[in-house]
Amino acid sequence: MSDQLVQILEGNTFVVSDDRGDIEASRTDPTGLFSFDTRFLSRWVLTVNGQRLTALSTDDVQYFQTRFFLVPGSGTVYVDAKLSIIREREVADGFREKLRALNHENSPVDLVIRVEAASDFADLFEVKDALKKKGKYGNEVVDGSLVLRYQRETYARETWISSTESASVDENGFTFNVTVPAHGEWSTELDVVASEGSMERAGARAQDGPIGIRGQGGRRVREDMAHGLQKWLQKVPAVECDWEAVGHIYRRCLTDLAALRFTTLTLPGRALPAAGLPWFMTIFGRDSIFTSLQALPFTSELASTTLLALAERQGTRIDDFRDEDPGRILHEMRYGEMTAFEERPHSPYYGNADATALYVVLLDEYERWTGDTKLVRDLEHAARAALNWIDEYADLQGNGYVSYQRRNQKTGLENQCWKDSWDSISYRNGELPGFPRATCELQGYAYDAKVRGARLARQVWHDTAFADRLEKEAADLKRRFNRDFWVEDGEYFALAIDTDGRKVDALTSNIGHLLWSGIVDTTKARAVARHLLGPRLFSGWGVRTLAEGEARYNPIGYHVGTVWPFDNSFIAWGLRRYGFKDEAACIVAGIMEAAEVFQGRLPEAFGGYPRSTTRYPVQYPTACSPQAWSTGAPLLLLRAGLGLEPQGDNLIVDPALPLRVGHLQILDLPGRWKKMDAFGRGRVDTDRLTARALGGK
Amino acid sequence: MTADPISQFFANLAAPGHLATFEGDSATLRFDVHDGGQIQHWYVAVSNGDVAVSRQNKAADAVIHVERPTFEAIVTGRMNAQAALLRGLLTCEGSMAALMMFQRCLPGPPGSTGRVAPISSQTVMAQRRPM
Repeated sequence: MSDQLVQILEGNTFVVSDDRGDIEASRTDPTGLFSFDTRFLSRWVLTVNGQRLTALSTDDVQYFQTRFFLVPGSGTVYVDAKLSIIREREVADGFREKLRALNHENSPVDLVIRVEAASDFADLFEVKDALKKKGKYGNEVVDGSLVLRYQRETYARETWISSTESASVDENGFTFNVTVPAHGEWSTELDVVASEGSMERAGARAQDGPIGIRGQGGRRVREDMAHGLQKWLQKVPAVECDWEAVGHIYRRCLTDLAALRFTTLTLPGRALPAAGLPWFMTIFGRDSIFTSLQALPFTSELASTTLLALAERQGTRIDDFRDEDPGRILHEMRYGEMTAFEERPHSPYYGNADATALYVVLLDEYERWTGDTKLVRDLEHAARAALNWIDEYADLQGNGYVSYQRRNQKTGLENQCWKDSWDSISYRNGELPGFPRATCELQGYAYDAKVRGARLARQVWHDTAFADRLEKEAADLKRRFNRDFWVEDGEYFALAIDTDGRKVDALTSNIGHLLWSGIVDTTKARAVARHLLGPRLFSGWGVRTLAEGEARYNPIGYHVGTVWPFDNSFIAWGLRRYGFKDEAACIVAGIMEAAEVFQGRLPEAFGGYPRSTTRYPVQYPTACSPQAWSTGAPLLLLRAGLGLEPQGDNLIVDPALPLRVGHLQILDLPGRWKKMDAFGRGRVDTDRLTARALGGK
Repeated sequence: MTADPISQFFANLAAPGHLATFEGDSATLRFDVHDGGQIQHWYVAVSNGDVAVSRQNKAADAVIHVERPTFEAIVTGRMNAQAALLRGLLTCEGSMAALMMFQRCLPGPPGSTGRVAPISSQTVMAQRRPM
């Protein structure tokens, strides 16, 4: 059994197979063809004359195409093969696979080529949690196509498989009895369609063929995808840099962002960033917003689609199962069977305490870059509802701070901030606070939302009274926050305030987000910056989620010691906001150097070990790669390094780049200024600064 | 007659004439509610927040097909519309965006209060394994 997993995808349809192209999934094994959170193929096995094949090589042609070069036999010793098999697979609404058999002999050869297919139609949640199915299965041969079916009450899903060459089709697969001429070739194309079956349509189906899961009858043309990628890459600014890795990282990010684009049925032709591949190919409020913010200087399309899609699904009612309130921005949307039967709350689920404020932040930042006041006017209602949520629904303790506590105690999220694992919020001594919890960055986001909301109210909605009120509230929040969250003996901001008003006093990377939001008093900013680049938080690569020395610190703990590139990109932006240019440059250097080691694709997180100990960043084992906000991190780091800041109709460029960068230029940055170029030269000796910062307190 | 939750829902929807949640949006929807052998129609026209409801059977941006018991559950908050759509209990011809807009006026589950009792640090620690 080969264990290498190959993933290809398009939208939220993806295939995970071994390096031969075979799929042999068990209930909990994450291989298969997935679409809209459902597995449509759990078995897809190719044999030639009853024999399995061996992979010679696998080639990811594009993010949606893979080519497998195979020879018969499963021997470990190389066999002098007289036959090659090539599988070319391309994802669409399912996938298409071109199967080619190449005869290298001087005489014709007879082959029995067999493709076995089956599906368990598992929900992604079932794959994660090993749950039992409640519906019925049935396979059928319809006009030469093999149809795999699953039905639970009115919920139906089908996989339609057909072949261009004639085959003998049975309920478990296709058999081709073929003769391949001397030095000749035989080929067929197998078409697998993930379909939303339905009983009413059963009669019409034979003539009409499968109804694609996206609801449209026809298949999308494949050329569109290749063309779409080309167009996407041509539209973005050009980056050139003496440090060659920078250009490579930039192109990797853009290609991965293209793969992460997700289209909703309600906004056809527009894309927003899904959270991660392959398990998070869906709308996440927080992830889509952060990624859109990171990408804004380079493309504004992700931001505008995110703003529209999240507004469409903004909360309007009290729903305890979904943790929904009026005005709240969604956390996660899912389309699988368990969501359909309300066994999971993701239709959508609203359990986050940050995306609603961040929504307003993104709307304002979007307008500052693009000047698109029309969208700001169109989304006025949504933005006002979001601002209202902060005061009316998020202040769970009546203390003037945003707090969270899940109302869905079974399947809701305990920690509704970006550090959402169970142990991420702790006191120095490792104890966990009760609920509700008011984490510090939530107050920062709320502050920023009010400040930015005030600007939009004044300049676009022409509601001065509302602007005045928001500014007054923001100033008041800032004053209280700097008093109530400040840890005197450590000179930093507490991670949270607990139910008794006590400080949850662990030192964490969250203080960097506070700089980004602007809630920090300038008199306190220097101390915060010193911590961020100090030996307890800074690993040499980046800022750890939790400081060394705290009871729960673990350099490979998910939110308690690892370094998150996304987190660091916002910290760098925050440092710039308060004028700590050299410190920001140190983070730019560390994360970009890590990106270079990871060949341009930053993982979600990597180990918090001191850089001097491991020499290389140690990747945190995670299921998703690429992850949207890790993909966006280098983009925001470029912005931070160059000091790009829109100001009216101008783009300010104020570079503070690591020495290593040499000369950096970004051409044709789009925005309200039409197109602008930005140039910078690396002048900050980040190696020396980092060594000095880590050398002592 | 007054016991019909669907008629009541649409009457309540139309009564104020304007819904803030629909501001900035315009769309028409027709609900074809299948009841035994019969189909009952409700026609909803939204124009920048203004709402009008009639019983006309005419073309709309979105035509929703649904069985009466399902729709009764949806308009009383006992079933989630998005979940019903995924289950195939509700089908939409035409504009999905119109249906997405409309679902904003549906009520939440009857038992939802928006409140939950606080949990102490001691309780959280007792539920969790030690470090």
